Amino acid sequence: MADVSEILSLKKLPSMPEAMARAVPLLLDPDLNWRSLEEVVKRDEALTTAVLRVANSARFGAPGRQFDLRAAMTRLGRDEVRRCVLSQQVSGIAGGENAAFGLQRGALWRSALGGAIAAEHLAGVHGMRDRAGLAFLCGLLRDIGKLALNVRYGDAYLSAVAGHARDGVSFTDAERSALGFDHAEVGAALARKWKLPEQVARAIEAHHAPPPPGPGHDRLLDVVHAADTVCRWAGLGVGVDGMEYPLVQHVRESLGLDRRAAESQIGMVWDRLREIEDGPAQAETRGAAA
Amino acid sequence: MTSLRAQLERPVGPPRVVVGIADLGLSADPESLLITYALGSCIGVTIYDPVARVGGMLHFMLPQSSLSPERAKSAPLMFADTGVPLLFTRAYEMGARKERMLVCAAGGAEILADEGHFKIGSRNRTMLRKLFWKNNVLLAAEDTGGSHSRTMALRLSDGLVTVRNKSEERVLWPT
Repeated sequence: MADVSEILSLKKLPSMPEAMARAVPLLLDPDLNWRSLEEVVKRDEALTTAVLRVANSARFGAPGRQFDLRAAMTRLGRDEVRRCVLSQQVSGIAGGENAAFGLQRGALWRSALGGAIAAEHLAGVHGMRDRAGLAFLCGLLRDIGKLALNVRYGDAYLSAVAGHARDGVSFTDAERSALGFDHAEVGAALARKWKLPEQVARAIEAHHAPPPPGPGHDRLLDVVHAADTVCRWAGLGVGVDGMEYPLVQHVRESLGLDRRAAESQIGMVWDRLREIEDGPAQAETRGAAA
Repeated sequence: MTSLRAQLERPVGPPRVVVGIADLGLSADPESLLITYALGSCIGVTIYDPVARVGGMLHFMLPQSSLSPERAKSAPLMFADTGVPLLFTRAYEMGARKERMLVCAAGGAEILADEGHFKIGSRNRTMLRKLFWKNNVLLAAEDTGGSHSRTMALRLSDGLVTVRNKSEERVLWPT
């Protein structure tokens, strides 16, 4: 039986993209240093192309094509630059097939982006506008543990866990019974290895079981947990684990998630995802998802 | 003559038409296979006319378009009440006839411990049954409910419908 540290030491484990490592602290800083961010983007050709494409897409239909990176970033504004940079970087590591969780090529990536959109939106409407960018990042990375488990187990993962799956038992419980850990724990360990902020690691760790109000409670974790459920309802990232996770009661109550709110969230995520995918910036990713 | 390279690169098995989420696929090519992945609370509906050999598949997400009439216009395949009529209409345009249609459904799962709070999967199932009942359409077979994901496929050569749940695949139609 493997343990988390053995998984983290695998040579084929995805590493955090270099531009992302440099961009995250800048993008989460309330006083964004545009000059430094421009330097980071400029060093990465694919990232530069992505930013320019979004800035020149119909969605930001300012007249005239923009070829200057600084002007393109100004046109997009802080929030959109953050979305563009982070999603472009993560698409590179999460865009492939994930045999361990039975996800087709591009499915994990679409789920990551859907979770980022939902978490950012929920943070905004629940009084955490100042943490919306952090919520986006947490939603985007919440399932990185699945990447590591795919490297370690491939399509043997399901058979390793299947014997412990029971009706009414969550997939994370089955993972823990079978392996001693679950994909959320592995993801959090990977985030710490990548030296991401501790809040991100905690959100990944708790994305299926956020702690109740009291010590350790953080609404950011509630939001990321709810975003994950919204994605599942929207059919994003539904693999061998299916719908086998509960929506925690305190999150449902504190975010006022009823049937109508849930369905609105599902529709909103889907609309945003289509909007992004129909734009030129994600053309390559859309190809991967098809 | 087909080149050696083309022969080598030819995919194994029938050509696949992958139906995405809030999407539909239709075919009259007897060689093709319609397939949809990741059915959770969403429902996959297949229709097949064995005479015209026309088949279609819809993957819808939510029961009712009244949630957002605007969205229903831009994405009618998202909802059961706007997507299912479109599926049938498009199949009729390809020569299929309602009285010959074999209809199957799969999906409509719930998150664990839903306890009646959301019931998105079961509301999808209810809306589908209501639509079929109103329009005198019989479901030939279905595999719905639970908490697991499903992959649904329709083979155009003979109308075979299969549903894969985790690693197990079963024939849904013929029953």
